[in-house]
Amino acid sequence: MSLVAKTKTPRRVGFAPFALLVPGTAVLAVVVGWPLIQLLIQSFQEYGRAQVFGAPAPFIGLGNYVEVLTDQKFWNVLGRSVLFCLVCVVVTIVLGTLVALLMQRLNKFFRTLVSIGLLLAWAMPPLSATFVWGWVFDTQYGIANYLITQVSGVDFMGHSWLISALGFFFVAGIVVVWGAVPFVAFTVYAGLTQVPDEVIEAAQLDGAGAVARFRLIVLPYLRSIFLVLIVLSVIWDLRVFAQIKALQTIGGSVADTSTIGVYIYETSLANGEYGTGGAIAVILVLILMAVSFVYIRQSLKEDEA
Amino acid sequence: MTAVVSTPTRPDSASPSAPKSAPPSGRATTAAGGRVARRRRIRPSSIVLSAVAVIVFVLSVFPVYWMVNSSFLPNNLVRGSVPHFFPDEFTLRNYALVLFGDTRTPFLPALLNSIGTTVITVGVALVFAFLAALAVTRFRFRGRRSFVIAILVVQMIPGEAMIISTYRLLEGWNLLNSIIGLSLVYVATVLPFTIWTLRGFVNGVPAELEEAAMIDGCSRTGAFWRITFPLLAPGLIATGVFGFIQAWNEFVFALVVMSDDSAHTLPVWLRTFVQANTTTNWAAIMAGSTLVAIPVVVFFLIVQGRMTSGLVSGAVKG
Amino acid sequence: MRKFSIVAATALVAAAGLVLSGCAAGGSGGSDKAEIRVWLNGTDTPKEAREYLVKTFEKQNPGSTLKIEEQSWTGLVDKLTTSLSGSDSPDVVEVGNTQSPAFTSVGAFMDLTDKKDELGGDDLLPGFVEAGSYDGKFYAAPYYSGARLVFYRKDMFAAAGLEAPKTLDEYVADGEKLASANAGVSGIYAPGKDWYNALPYIWENGGEIATEKGGKWTSQFSSAESVAGIEQLQQVYEKASLAPKDGDETNPQVPYCANQVAQLSAPSWVKWSILAAADSDTPGCPDQEANLGVFALPGKDGGAAHVFAGGSNIAISNKSAHKDLAYDALKIMLSDDYQTILGKNGLVPAKQSLASTLGTDEVAKATAEAAANAKLTPASPKWADVESSQLLQDFFSAVAQGGDVKSLATELDKKIDDILNK
Repeated sequence: MSLVAKTKTPRRVGFAPFALLVPGTAVLAVVVGWPLIQLLIQSFQEYGRAQVFGAPAPFIGLGNYVEVLTDQKFWNVLGRSVLFCLVCVVVTIVLGTLVALLMQRLNKFFRTLVSIGLLLAWAMPPLSATFVWGWVFDTQYGIANYLITQVSGVDFMGHSWLISALGFFFVAGIVVVWGAVPFVAFTVYAGLTQVPDEVIEAAQLDGAGAVARFRLIVLPYLRSIFLVLIVLSVIWDLRVFAQIKALQTIGGSVADTSTIGVYIYETSLANGEYGTGGAIAVILVLILMAVSFVYIRQSLKEDEA
Repeated sequence: MTAVVSTPTRPDSASPSAPKSAPPSGRATTAAGGRVARRRRIRPSSIVLSAVAVIVFVLSVFPVYWMVNSSFLPNNLVRGSVPHFFPDEFTLRNYALVLFGDTRTPFLPALLNSIGTTVITVGVALVFAFLAALAVTRFRFRGRRSFVIAILVVQMIPGEAMIISTYRLLEGWNLLNSIIGLSLVYVATVLPFTIWTLRGFVNGVPAELEEAAMIDGCSRTGAFWRITFPLLAPGLIATGVFGFIQAWNEFVFALVVMSDDSAHTLPVWLRTFVQANTTTNWAAIMAGSTLVAIPVVVFFLIVQGRMTSGLVSGAVKG
Repeated sequence: MRKFSIVAATALVAAAGLVLSGCAAGGSGGSDKAEIRVWLNGTDTPKEAREYLVKTFEKQNPGSTLKIEEQSWTGLVDKLTTSLSGSDSPDVVEVGNTQSPAFTSVGAFMDLTDKKDELGGDDLLPGFVEAGSYDGKFYAAPYYSGARLVFYRKDMFAAAGLEAPKTLDEYVADGEKLASANAGVSGIYAPGKDWYNALPYIWENGGEIATEKGGKWTSQFSSAESVAGIEQLQQVYEKASLAPKDGDETNPQVPYCANQVAQLSAPSWVKWSILAAADSDTPGCPDQEANLGVFALPGKDGGAAHVFAGGSNIAISNKSAHKDLAYDALKIMLSDDYQTILGKNGLVPAKQSLASTLGTDEVAKATAEAAANAKLTPASPKWADVESSQLLQDFFSAVAQGGDVKSLATELDKKIDDILNK
């Protein structure tokens, strides 16, 4: 990862780049492309469980899309997902960056300690993590209620964390952020090691405070890293599925807490309405594309440069 | 564990607000450097920082600790009115049950299936992604940008919506219940991210380095293997880790595609302990989860040293 | 861009070629000797029954083998949808009785109409026959049923001077009494998402879940009778139960063994969860054995109440390559000998004539009583969708939190109507 000014001299060679692209493209075209085409077709069809078992699938034009877009539930789910995603992404990135900055300032022992902690968190199967967090906030036997009651003396026993949508997403947010911080922290930390010490030191001599140093020097260096992290986090958090689904089995109201990932799963697989599920998936991709438009436009510009 | 994501943005050109007086490759005077270092050393906040580090550690590790703790307790104490913070009624019976219990899918085949799938996924994804990354960074050609954008868009498609079609696809190739089939699905899942990330790493290795080596008498391939490849090692490991975690933990596709008992992967195996008509054996689930997590930790520990050393090596920093 | 799409097109063509060649390879001839794959869910089917099935089948069909593949209840509908419609289909599958209509209605199962008499005819559990039938045809045979019983603590009953209730109203009143007499104890343990145990209140007050007329379903939660039942249940939630308002029915032995429950309505097998030995994999509280009483939930006017019957159906995949052998296996599973093994293990047999195999102890008697009056959910192919959308969990949870029954029920009816008549 070089930070020295490097001149890109891409070679103009006729066939070579395409040969290099063939294996990856072939896998994607077949394993993603083919089902994707079917998904698109299904989204214009009446395609339910009966069609899976061979019944004819009539085309119904935009029927599925109209059904989805005129369903208030879809908009509720979407709004909720977007809001949840934004909060999670912001908190994840901020916490991850803070942890990375912390690691940079720690001596070897404590840095290793933090690294090991993050590593273990990252290695834990996400579903098991959701169960454990679910227990922590369990209504009857949760440690959260137990500790709050023991420490503060306020009787929290029997307090239900998941029953209100806000409480549910608070816990879900903890699960998601907890699982996502290690990746962000490690990535930002690796980026930080690339910022030349000299630049920081020079700025320090110039009297720049810690915040100013971060904003004026570190941030510009890590700008592209942050951009990628944010785009990826948005994509992942908007599609969050396993954690929400598992948490719903522990408590909370399903109708008030489903996110778009869970909603697609329920529509497609649980209810067997593959056509409608396909339409939701297409709409979601379009939304994500719109969200990442800024990023796409920028990478276009850079590639042209 | 590091996962560096980078883009072709050249930091120096893309950071208009960076002070011009500080060229990235410039060297501060030794005197200044020494002074700063001394000032840092006497900062009293290091105690505070260490305390924060401990808090971060505890928060990160707590669920992991609770999983391991629960796995050593009898099931009826895992969720009880009084939490057990330590395995004070230590038992290994949960491990015995998940490893040798008779009615379940055995652990060992599931472990082997998971290892096989993960190794193939990571290996194939890295090779294919590396080739693609070379193509989009070292060459200019029409369609290059479309390809990069297509890669980003592919990541947005929710896989849950395509399960039936994917199943049919594998079925047509007789790849159900096969490690190859499942790996193929996983390769497609992790490939976009891998290409995207590696693209940044390849971009970070100046083509001039290769050219210089060639002037020194290396062949083009020789220059690549001796110069470029070692510099890419951290990038390959970082993206490999990502693929590893995805392939290791994926559940929905594995459940549908690997229906034979003998074809189960670890996440599917783990789910067989959630039963409808018996007591949920949480302790066994946590013991199983611990077993699932151990290989990941081992893998992390193996690659970690290599990756960080590669990252901070002077060569990368030019 | 053009070149890129050429690459993509080439890949697609290559893929299509592979798909075609893959198709040509399939389709083995139907021989007399083969391996039959039977999918059973979870650990419900006891080991003894499995061994009997394999042994008997292989004796009756020399040269053929039978392989039992245990499936997990989690994600079962997804897995059945893909597998039953594919070439890798199992031959015989167990399916939850409420999930069954989703498959009978789409032609996933072999038609068993003309074999019905041979399998047991009118002796088969009627509700389960209904669940396994579609459009006048019989596709999925009853496999076993479970019944819900009320477990109670004899010491708390004695202290409050109570005896097993004779009517539903008495049961509710007892629950309130026990709750106020014992701090921190649920007189009736009723978590908000446990809709299975909520249904008897509706049925006993004369309500229904949904009724069908001329192919159109009408959800009945807001009928006067249903509302009366749900209001009675709301009284239980408010005055008798300390269970989490958003909790579900799983693992009720945990609060029971923590001495927090006086009466617990639960499937019969929960007895074994409660009494599991201290050195078993999932210890319960075996010291409570003498203190554990049981009765069938009483009805509004005495007798046993209509309770929800959980259980399974068993069917042959339409894609099975060896339907005759598969049918032989199914026949064994519905034989008196096999069903007797299920009965001895506490599952209600698929044949009413075998109810006595449950035994004569308290639990067996209560199980037989409850099973005789058990009811199922509407036999609509869309009912599984109502369940999977978890509308009922949300509804009863909202009732448990003190919501207005009438307006919640009206809202629920609209949603269920939408699904059932889609």
